[in-house]
Amino acid sequence: MAHVPWRHSILLRTAAIVIGVACAVGALFIAQTLRVTSERTYARSTAGLSELIDTVESTVSIACFVTDQALALEVARGLLKNIQVRGVVIAAGTQELARVSRSSDAATTNDANLAPLERKIHSPFNAQEVVGMIRLEPNREEIRQLIHQETRFFGLLLVLQLIAVVGSVVFIVLRTVVHPIKTMSDGLHRLDAAAGESLPQPPGHAHTEIGRLVEDINELARRMVVAMEEERAVTRQRELEERKYRVIFDNARIGILTIDHTGHIESYNPALFYLLDLPRSSGGEDPGFTLQSLSWRQSSLPQAMILQCLDNNSPMTDDLELLLDDGTVRWINLVLSPVGENRLQGILADVTGRKQAEAAAKQEAVTDLLTGLSNRMGLERSLESQIHTHLNMPGRGFALMMLKLDGFRRINDAMGFGVGDLILKEAANRLQNCLKASDTVARLDGGKFALLLPRAFGEVRASMIGQRILKTLAHQFDVQGAPLQLGANIGITLCPGDGGDPPTLLRNAQLALDRAHNNNHHGFTFFDTTLAEIAERRGVLETDLRLALRREGFRLFYQPIVDLNHHRVVGAEALIRWDHPQNGLISPDDFIPLAEETGMICEIGLWALESACRQLLIWQSAGRGDLYLSINVSGRQIPDSLSPERIAQTVWRYGIDPSRLVLEITEGVLLNNVIQAQHWLATLRDLGFRIYLDDFGTGYSSLSYLKRFPVDTVKIDKSFIRDMAADNDDRALVEAIIAMARSLRLSVVAEGVETLQHAALLRQMHCYTAQGFLFSKPVPEEQLAAAMARIEAMPVELL
Amino acid sequence: MKPFLSSLIWVLLNWPSLLYAGGPLVVVIHPGSSVETLSREEVINIFLGRYRQLPSGLLAQPVDQPAGQKASFYKLLVGKELPEINAYWSRLVFSGKTKPPQQARDLAEVIQWVNSLPGAIGYMEADQVDSRVKVALKLN
Repeated sequence: MAHVPWRHSILLRTAAIVIGVACAVGALFIAQTLRVTSERTYARSTAGLSELIDTVESTVSIACFVTDQALALEVARGLLKNIQVRGVVIAAGTQELARVSRSSDAATTNDANLAPLERKIHSPFNAQEVVGMIRLEPNREEIRQLIHQETRFFGLLLVLQLIAVVGSVVFIVLRTVVHPIKTMSDGLHRLDAAAGESLPQPPGHAHTEIGRLVEDINELARRMVVAMEEERAVTRQRELEERKYRVIFDNARIGILTIDHTGHIESYNPALFYLLDLPRSSGGEDPGFTLQSLSWRQSSLPQAMILQCLDNNSPMTDDLELLLDDGTVRWINLVLSPVGENRLQGILADVTGRKQAEAAAKQEAVTDLLTGLSNRMGLERSLESQIHTHLNMPGRGFALMMLKLDGFRRINDAMGFGVGDLILKEAANRLQNCLKASDTVARLDGGKFALLLPRAFGEVRASMIGQRILKTLAHQFDVQGAPLQLGANIGITLCPGDGGDPPTLLRNAQLALDRAHNNNHHGFTFFDTTLAEIAERRGVLETDLRLALRREGFRLFYQPIVDLNHHRVVGAEALIRWDHPQNGLISPDDFIPLAEETGMICEIGLWALESACRQLLIWQSAGRGDLYLSINVSGRQIPDSLSPERIAQTVWRYGIDPSRLVLEITEGVLLNNVIQAQHWLATLRDLGFRIYLDDFGTGYSSLSYLKRFPVDTVKIDKSFIRDMAADNDDRALVEAIIAMARSLRLSVVAEGVETLQHAALLRQMHCYTAQGFLFSKPVPEEQLAAAMARIEAMPVELL
Repeated sequence: MKPFLSSLIWVLLNWPSLLYAGGPLVVVIHPGSSVETLSREEVINIFLGRYRQLPSGLLAQPVDQPAGQKASFYKLLVGKELPEINAYWSRLVFSGKTKPPQQARDLAEVIQWVNSLPGAIGYMEADQVDSRVKVALKLN
């Protein structure tokens, strides 16, 4: 702003306003004062004249009474001496006694305010009688002069006062308010805040509003400078980034463009042309096409995306196929984002590579990576499409086979996954070799395969193919120079005879395979409806079993074990029974396999342990602390479910000596995981528990096992005992077992002793511990005492 | 008590004079005058120098009694004390137009004055009147 011209200066303006207002008010006041003064002066004059008459009234009264002209004249002359009196007339009745007046007079008689003063004169001796009158002519000129003098004097006084007051006020206001403001204004005008200058504090105003104003202005200026510097820094930064983004924009490998709502391209970067495989154009001009006019395979999609993006005001993305001139297809990922004002920003990227990778991945999803066969998903797809084909063109149906390599898991465990993988590959090869191209082979998991055979309609053809497969897999596998023999089991289901949807067919094939597996002679089994019924029964049984677990539906039965030598009971084997609400007591053979499969065996085992301990405690209280009790342990319980710690803790809780509890295991249990089983056994024996090897003679019964698994006792399987009276081979076998056990310093318990002959034979073979129906069948707890008493009361000579 | 007593004593002592002062005064004229009666106004005008003329046209020549009766007379006539009357005359004397009444030394002189001048006019107590004078006005 320019310098303030002097006539606009606040100093001059303030002074002019203060003086002007003061003068106007003062003039009004003075005029009023003068008027009042004039009136007062006139009133005083009139009063003075009236008083003048008062002083001479008595004399005038006498003069009039006696019509004494000389006296009247004398009085009149005396009155005329007063400067304010111009003329006097004294009259007695009609006779004028005296008339005097000033000669130098040209009076204006029309002044109402200065009318002559007339008074009636009464007789000195009778107040009622009027004897004359006196009239005073006021000296108008004189009075007016007097008034003028008075008013002039007062006027002058007031004007002087006014000047003094106004002058003082103007001076003070200018000095204390206006001048500091003007100084501030001038200072502010010249101030260069950016150079760090600040406004000086006007002297004497440190604590006034002006001082605060100066502080605030300085503070404001300082903040403004800071803000400006920040703004400048931001601008610089923005320019820098703008350049950076410009470079990115120009050199980006992705196409960037902005379009309006019609798809008209308003700006774009060079990469867009590479991406769209168009001849290069110089940037910034109209590229000559719209987003929709490009050769998209999904030609309506870009327009739809633009509309949707604008409608929802949110970004849209999709992959589009761009048809190139050379006939190839390029996948373009298009992202549209609204940027306001009906405009969109588009980013285009070449995603052909990703699309190819995705397709490859999709392929992988249905392929088993190891063998290159289909996986489960691939099989299900093939199965679905096969069913679909069959429904559309009903033919003679097809077969679905499920195949499991027998012993594969054992080899995998024993020889490592490398060997397992090689076997799987070889098996896959063999399978593919003996099938047609139209057949589908899939690997499901582990050593399990599935075969979809569209041409194998009917059991005959399916059997032929099954035979062929079994044959080819029966050849030994040469893996890393070691010949391995594997077999396989096959379950076969036929469509549409057995079912018409993938889940049913797959389940059927699985059930048939399970049956074949259970038969365990490397063959194939066709699905039939009984399999489904069995499966259903199993399902029901499983539910009941869970219920039984929750409701304590199990009971322990006890079969006494007898010392033949001393003719007394030494212990008992605890045998579990399921007290089924509908079916009555169920033997363990009918539900333990299921419990093992479902894992419920673990809870059942714990329950059995607790119950056994309770029984031992009862014996202990009854004075039969010498008796021991054996419980059967399943492979699933080793090593974690029925851990040595758990057993020891339970026994300790009941206050039972560990030597009173015997754990019976079978050879098969030990073979599942050799190292863990060894450790489990050793720990328990260290804790003082005894281990019995159950069903000895039926399995491998190898001497080396007995050496690797340190047990206390072997129990000879009841099948040998039963037949040893009639069969010499069995007798020899029993004898051998007993001899062997003795040489290994193991004790022997004979199971299934049913007759006196059995007992006699065993005694001859020096086996003195036995159990069996000869002594007692397994009995519930309440009958145990009676059974034991009966056994011990049996005649010695019988044994 | 004391002021009351003193005022009572004053009244008793002055009783005769008070009685006297309040007694009837009469204005008398020459016995042979054609004028029979005078009004109070005429008496005032004559004695206070306004008109020195009797109704008959004769120049009136008033005479004053000595101080005692003079005061009573003026008191009765115009209600003024003697000093006031004196002051009145002193102002008129200045112009010389009129003069105060003739001052007699005693009653005899008054009687003689009235009896000897046809325009004479005087005053006295009613019981002092004799044939040498004629009563023109009774003052109460």
